[in-house]
Amino acid sequence: MRNWHWLAVAAAGALSFGVLEWRAGAQTPTGARDINPPVANCNVTPDTMPVANDPNKRVATPIDAKLLTSGQPCHQVVSTKGLVTDQLGNLQRGFDFYSWLTFIALNSPADGKTIGQGPRPGGDAATKWEALSIYRPLADVMLDKGAKPTWGTRIVPDACKPLDGPTKMIVKLGEAAWNQPFKTGPLVDQNGNYAVFDILMNQPMFDFINDHGLYSREGQQRFTQDIDFPKGNNPGTGVDGRMGASMLKVSWRVLDPVEDKALMDKFHTVDALIYFPGPPGTRTGPACVAKTLGLVGFHAGHKTKFAPQWVWSTFEHVSNAPDEKQVADKAFSPPYSFFNPNCPQCPVNTTPSDPWDPPLTLKFHSDERSQVVRTKMLPDDVIEEVAELNRGFRALLKGTVWENYMLLATQWPSDFASKVECNGAPAPTFLANSTLETYSQGRIPLASSSCMACHGNATTLGVPAKPSDFTFILEKAQCESGTCGPAVPNLAAQNPRCGFADPPK
Amino acid sequence: MTDFTRRKMLGATVGTMAGAVAAAGSIEPALADDAVDLDLFVKVSVALTGVAEAKLAPTVDPIKVKLVYFKQAKSDPGFAGLMDIVHNAQSPAAAAQSIMTSADPGIKFLGRSIILAWYLGAWYPPQVLNRPPPSKPVPPDKIISDTAYTQGWTWSIAQSHPMGYSDLRFGHWSDPPLPLDTLIKA
Repeated sequence: MRNWHWLAVAAAGALSFGVLEWRAGAQTPTGARDINPPVANCNVTPDTMPVANDPNKRVATPIDAKLLTSGQPCHQVVSTKGLVTDQLGNLQRGFDFYSWLTFIALNSPADGKTIGQGPRPGGDAATKWEALSIYRPLADVMLDKGAKPTWGTRIVPDACKPLDGPTKMIVKLGEAAWNQPFKTGPLVDQNGNYAVFDILMNQPMFDFINDHGLYSREGQQRFTQDIDFPKGNNPGTGVDGRMGASMLKVSWRVLDPVEDKALMDKFHTVDALIYFPGPPGTRTGPACVAKTLGLVGFHAGHKTKFAPQWVWSTFEHVSNAPDEKQVADKAFSPPYSFFNPNCPQCPVNTTPSDPWDPPLTLKFHSDERSQVVRTKMLPDDVIEEVAELNRGFRALLKGTVWENYMLLATQWPSDFASKVECNGAPAPTFLANSTLETYSQGRIPLASSSCMACHGNATTLGVPAKPSDFTFILEKAQCESGTCGPAVPNLAAQNPRCGFADPPK
Repeated sequence: MTDFTRRKMLGATVGTMAGAVAAAGSIEPALADDAVDLDLFVKVSVALTGVAEAKLAPTVDPIKVKLVYFKQAKSDPGFAGLMDIVHNAQSPAAAAQSIMTSADPGIKFLGRSIILAWYLGAWYPPQVLNRPPPSKPVPPDKIISDTAYTQGWTWSIAQSHPMGYSDLRFGHWSDPPLPLDTLIKA
């Protein structure tokens, strides 16, 4: 069955560049507001193209300037046919190409200019995903006392107001902003600064949460349906393209504008106000500090019609850390943000010692520094395929800050409609970003990082809990009264197998 | 009856397998002949286990546990004889029947080892399985790999999941198990 699902997608992709059957309004009850509105410019560029007069042959789509303005994909365009005879390999390359298109679209300037043509060093500029009209930070969705959030409004904590300005990005520190998944510890750069993490979502995802009251614990308890975020789909005959739910998780390192001046055209940077809300979120605060942050990691999760387990793309800065082979060969390219080549005795990928809670300086309390090495977790063919795509796209972005970012891989469901493997048989099986899953890199089932296997365990805060559609975002909801009272069992939480009773047709 | 000969299989499989063979790293078969043998190994495994090929070794298969079992079985001295039977049989079912009733214990018990590998993710050497009674529970030589452990078919056939690992969704324990046919048939 697995093969036929993908062949169906492949046929659509090959014949009409991913135009997929879709009933407009299928996600919109009659009379309800459309939280997943039509998108005019879905990017439907496939990674390969057919060759004239030879239906069995395909060639790679040129990686040229046209891709810089081709827009964000609403849905993957993938095929079992491609550059190699291995169907899995062709699908993987299609997803990886989709990831690069997504990265370029989201990191293009918010003002509409082409990526890499901004006014800052390295052609940098505030990106689309940093614009509150396009993406919203999680901290501005899950508000104190479960208050209802409002799309587009900027929330400036009192402590940050004296430092605020029109270009400042506000990052609210909670534990998830400095502690890695499963509370495995902070990441400390070679200058002794904490890495900072942030989570954001697009408007269809926000609206689903907002319209269903999922921004509070009580609201999640009251919501008796299954959590089913809107899906992206490509346009087709009589069918509008729609973006669906998209969420991001990014990682930053602190850059000193003076001491790190030579790095400023190597990183995408933001002028940030780091807000310490005080207990229980942070030990210190309320307080606010101004920092220049450089982007070091970038996750994008996107729910699509033929990937209801979402598509998981992950990028990182090329100077974060060496990989295992580079370490073995001593083939270093310093400076690294999270690795010291002159410290062979430093324990690798090890959590630093307590205490972990960051002080206002964002400086770690001791001389410990994270000694990060990128662990090999991908099959050789995926590594080679991704490296080839990275060469093409990084060359396309040469001369800009964005040439310093690389795709690690894309995880996607190889059997999205399975009722047996609810996580969709993720391909590749493991995937981690060295700045966002530093301490869970590897190839050990369950223990090592797998986007879908991990997020497949995410639940609501209701009683009984129910699957939250591959996002932990709902677990950040607060109680409306400030303190949570006794929960009322939600007897209507009857989950269909794998969270979707009927696969898309 | 399907003609199951090596020659037919060669033409049908070399083309589709070449990419995987070239691409997949150290656990992949290195030669085209291995690719043919791998495909035949999967087909006879289907007959030996009763699990559909689409489940046992999907075409789009990121896990590729078949390669792990193939490599393990190939390391046994009886493998060449077992594959001779497979190559010359009229069908996978006929091959499986010949293996399980072979007069050669090295082949007969290798067939059992292969079944146990697919079911339990563990390798029970044919020589150990062939020990005379009084029989005690036979300890496996090894768990073939961490992947093999999670992919053992005994879990699905028991309509359950491995201890410490599950691809089922949160709350599945409150639902009736999936029908067996859903788990093992295409």
